[in-house]
Amino acid sequence: MNTQRIRVIISKEWMDMGKNKMVLIMMALMPVLLVGMVLGTTYFMARAPEQDFEPGAGSGIALPPEMAHLDPKTGTIIMMNDQYMFYLLLIPMALPVYIAAYSIIGEKETRSLEPLLATPISTAELLVGKTIAAVTPAVLLAWGSFAFTALGMYIIASPLIFEYLVRPVWTLSMAIQAPLFALLSTSCGVIASSRMNDPRAAQQVTALFVVPVVGLSMLVLMGRLYLSLQLLLWATLLMVLVNVGVLWLAVKLFQRETILTRWK
Amino acid sequence: MIRTENLTKRFGDNLAVDDLTLEVAQGEVFGFLGPNGAGKTTTMRMLSALVAPTGGTAWVNGYQVGVQNAEIRASIGLLTESPGLYPRLNAEQNLSIYARLHDVDDVAGQLRTYLTLLGLWERRHEPVGGFSKGMQQKLAIARALVHEPTVLFLDEPTSALDPEAARVVRDFIETLKGEGRTIFICTHNLNEADRLCDRVAVIKQRLIRVDTPAALRQGLYGQSVRVRLREPLSALPAVVEALPFVHGVSEMPDGLRVSLDDPEADNPTLIGALVEAGAAIQFVERESYSLEQVYFDLMRESEEAA
Ligand SMILES: Nc1ncnc2c1ncn2[C@@H]1O[C@H](COP(=O)(O)OP(=O)(O)O)[C@@H](O)[C@H]1O
Ligand SMILES: [Mg+2]
Repeated sequence: MNTQRIRVIISKEWMDMGKNKMVLIMMALMPVLLVGMVLGTTYFMARAPEQDFEPGAGSGIALPPEMAHLDPKTGTIIMMNDQYMFYLLLIPMALPVYIAAYSIIGEKETRSLEPLLATPISTAELLVGKTIAAVTPAVLLAWGSFAFTALGMYIIASPLIFEYLVRPVWTLSMAIQAPLFALLSTSCGVIASSRMNDPRAAQQVTALFVVPVVGLSMLVLMGRLYLSLQLLLWATLLMVLVNVGVLWLAVKLFQRETILTRWK
Repeated sequence: MIRTENLTKRFGDNLAVDDLTLEVAQGEVFGFLGPNGAGKTTTMRMLSALVAPTGGTAWVNGYQVGVQNAEIRASIGLLTESPGLYPRLNAEQNLSIYARLHDVDDVAGQLRTYLTLLGLWERRHEPVGGFSKGMQQKLAIARALVHEPTVLFLDEPTSALDPEAARVVRDFIETLKGEGRTIFICTHNLNEADRLCDRVAVIKQRLIRVDTPAALRQGLYGQSVRVRLREPLSALPAVVEALPFVHGVSEMPDGLRVSLDDPEADNPTLIGALVEAGAAIQFVERESYSLEQVYFDLMRESEEAA
């Protein structure tokens, strides 16, 4: 592994990304929409009358036993925010698959892969460079969105709501799960681009992974699961295992001759 | 500098390159001719360590294909069939990526040298997506040279260009001759091969013939001269045929075509004999065959053999 060559690939990917409106719009859209929605929802819910959240009233949510000590309105807002945080974790899932697939399929389209592969770069260096280039912006965007949400929450909501947002289960999820999601998504992009010729088609692959995340969030909303550190630990273990498997497949498919000639 | 031994590449049932044995010397400009699908690009890809041979082996710059691929890639420059530039990046960025991948010492200096040499220096900050095909091709050539490779592979360097741009590129390739670099050119353009190449190989999966363009001509047609006459005389062919150095005579509408051992030595005798027999000679000229004729005859020969 030659780090200089990996750095060249990363800088090339970022230069190109910076000039690709499609990718930039996609990168900006999800975080802006999500952060706006979280803060907007909290803002308006916090200003709604208390009795709307009483048990049996329209807006109330049945709180899990662990949160029973909270007043209904605060509890409902926290439950809502928890839901949104699941969606925030989808940012590092949605973006890298597109970036990675685009960066490989795009090179096939412009026919730049062949001259590139005729340089001393190894396929491993190329794969690592492209992976870092796809994972980093997505993780930074997820972290930025989380930080922005926390800051907004600090300003517009009660201290209790803020504290619940930044409790360890979420800060650790952002720290650990966001990169794992981004890596998984990147590997999917690499795999997809060895078979497909359209980065948007590749993106649909991640729908497979969105389903379990949304499912998990629904279970939490219905009170079937409580967001504990133990749950996070299991989720992390599972993610590591899935990542290893998918990454193995990506490396196996990302071979010089395959990516060069399985195309036309 | 390049040596192949029974080099073979099969894609499934499709035999793309069959049992190719060749040697290209250092500093030689070597032409690789053949119709579409003849296996030219595949050969170049094997020699650039991009695809693995399915049989035989090859050495480039003394490094063995499949064994020392990294060394091969570090020492060659490859101009692919399409330029394969990054359209959103500018000329300088496109070039600097490759210079840095090759770990060039003086990146800025090499960029300046080659962008200037190819007339792109003024436009180095423009995205190359807006460049004409000719400019893109020139940039791609600069990219293949920026790390000063000792072997340069050019895959149909002018075939996608308009005649004007093709000429600029061809002229530039000509300036690369004699700098000690080995240049391996795949081309459809036979005049180009004739002009640029020290030797050419004609291939169609298998090697059909390899030699200097002049030797190919001579091997196929021998030496011959055309004698143009004011009016045909039926007695002349017999007179010519009787000369000891003549191999054959054919009558043409405007005179005779005579194949003989050595025009320089034999022409005076030939002309003397013709004049004596009453011929009114207008011109005597060396018969010239284009590489194109040679190529088509070789192709026809190989098809008849198959
Ligand atoms: N990646 C590939 N997979 C399958 N067949 C291929 C591949 N690349 C080339 N071929 C086949 O190999 C033969 C030689 O192709 P190529 O080397 O591109 O010829 P040329 O460059 O002389 O036109 C053709 O029949 C072509 O279809
Ligand atoms: Mg070709």
